[in-house]
Amino acid sequence: MTQTPISGCGIGLRFQHIDQILAEQPPIPWLEILSDNYLNPGSVQQDYALEIARAYPVTMHGVGMSLGATDPFNDDYFQRLKALADKLQPAWISEHLCWTSAHGFVSHDLLPLPYTEETIQHVVKRIREAQERLERQLVIENVSSYLQYAQSALTEWEFLTAVAEQADCKILLDINNIYVSAFNHNFDPCKYIDSIPVERVQQFHLAGYEDKGTHLLDTHGHAVSDPVWGLYTLALQRFGALPTLIEWDNNIPSLELILAEAQKATGVQAHAFA
Amino acid sequence: MHLPELQQQLISAIFQRDQLTAAAGLVKVQGSLSSEQRVGIYRNSAHGILLDYLESLYPVSLELVGTEFFGQTAHHFIDQAPPTSPFLADYGAGFAEHLAKNPALQDLLWIVEITKLEWVRHAAWHTVNQEPSDFTQLEALNEEQQAELRFQLPTSAYLLSSSAPIHSIWLAHQIEDYPDKLRFEEIDLQQVERVLIFREQRRLHQITLGTDDWDFLTAVQSKATMGELAEQFAEQLPWLFSVAMQNGWLPTFSTTKAS
Repeated sequence: MTQTPISGCGIGLRFQHIDQILAEQPPIPWLEILSDNYLNPGSVQQDYALEIARAYPVTMHGVGMSLGATDPFNDDYFQRLKALADKLQPAWISEHLCWTSAHGFVSHDLLPLPYTEETIQHVVKRIREAQERLERQLVIENVSSYLQYAQSALTEWEFLTAVAEQADCKILLDINNIYVSAFNHNFDPCKYIDSIPVERVQQFHLAGYEDKGTHLLDTHGHAVSDPVWGLYTLALQRFGALPTLIEWDNNIPSLELILAEAQKATGVQAHAFA
Repeated sequence: MHLPELQQQLISAIFQRDQLTAAAGLVKVQGSLSSEQRVGIYRNSAHGILLDYLESLYPVSLELVGTEFFGQTAHHFIDQAPPTSPFLADYGAGFAEHLAKNPALQDLLWIVEITKLEWVRHAAWHTVNQEPSDFTQLEALNEEQQAELRFQLPTSAYLLSSSAPIHSIWLAHQIEDYPDKLRFEEIDLQQVERVLIFREQRRLHQITLGTDDWDFLTAVQSKATMGELAEQFAEQLPWLFSVAMQNGWLPTFSTTKAS
């Protein structure tokens, strides 16, 4: 299996669609594989991932690295992740700029970090170590958030930029997450986009949120909302037509509907530069 | 506050409701939500992820006890036994034991047996692939080696014996039609069932066993040699062996002494 360049608008691979994709081989520019679901070597799941990677260009996207945690890295996790990457040869591996574990417990949810110099130093060290372990540059994603820590002294975009610059990693800019966090913390999402260094951004994520009245919840259970499409246009104009991915994790619809959403992103790309 | 203490406070609030107020002290006051509500969003979100996962793992148990009871019990379980592994598929083994302690289920412990069955199905599905042995090698064995021969169940195989008809109940709750599927009302809940579960490629097998097959496979699982099997099953052995081979229950063998 050889690494294939990634371009265009892809979709996240979900179990519900694997058999259909393998049987029908629809024209999908690329697929993002949720690494954590395929880490068991010799399992049925990993067999599926390998089969997909033989048919399509892929990237790997994880939730379990816990880059911002203060517990030591889980060696088994890294060994399995590296082994999977060696087999799949993804164009890149992305992970979230957050923490998921502390003091031996694992939340399996993406928890925000305080935006301080101390945290930057800590996370930069961890990302460098992760990159060494994986023998490749990481792509880190901004997460949506529902709280800000009292001790945070920087904006999220200042924090993200400093971490990416100092760790020398790339950024997966999740446009929906920017919009959700901007609403929840009352900041200007355009300012966020305008502040991220262009050369660091490798990929975009698009997804749907749920409006809970008092806050927006990043559920990945709906179509991309109109304000997020608007923000995506702004991002395209600043960063260029970078590879974009539609994420859908809850209320998962038919493959055709998700592919239509990816087609819509392709249309927005064309329109952004018209 | 340094990062380790901050993370300890937040993760404590996620898995212990009474720690929400303490963790709220970490949070900047803003907007219409209180700091405690903001921490609560994370507690709800983490619990929601784990609840969805447990529901996907135990669909028949969920149907049997109902969404509300399952949800309450699952939330309690999550607080009592939070995940400690980054591999989500490792989580949930103790859920049956947790259900078994619930006073409301003391007269319905057959439901717990179904929960155990569902965990075993999950565990079998996640077992790694296995190459079958080369059976042509058997031809080269001498008489002594044949007596020491040990056949093996698939590495994904589980043998479950239950005082409840777990296979029949599980089947009754499947959407698909199966030849031996009964309606739940037709099942005698006092009936003993012995079940073999194993994975073959991308297919999970779940088979009820008669007493003879059960005894035979239990002996095989206990690493009995062909000599010992011959002694235990006498003239039944050729038939038992033939059924097991035809059904793919014995994909590998070993000619070395058991450790």
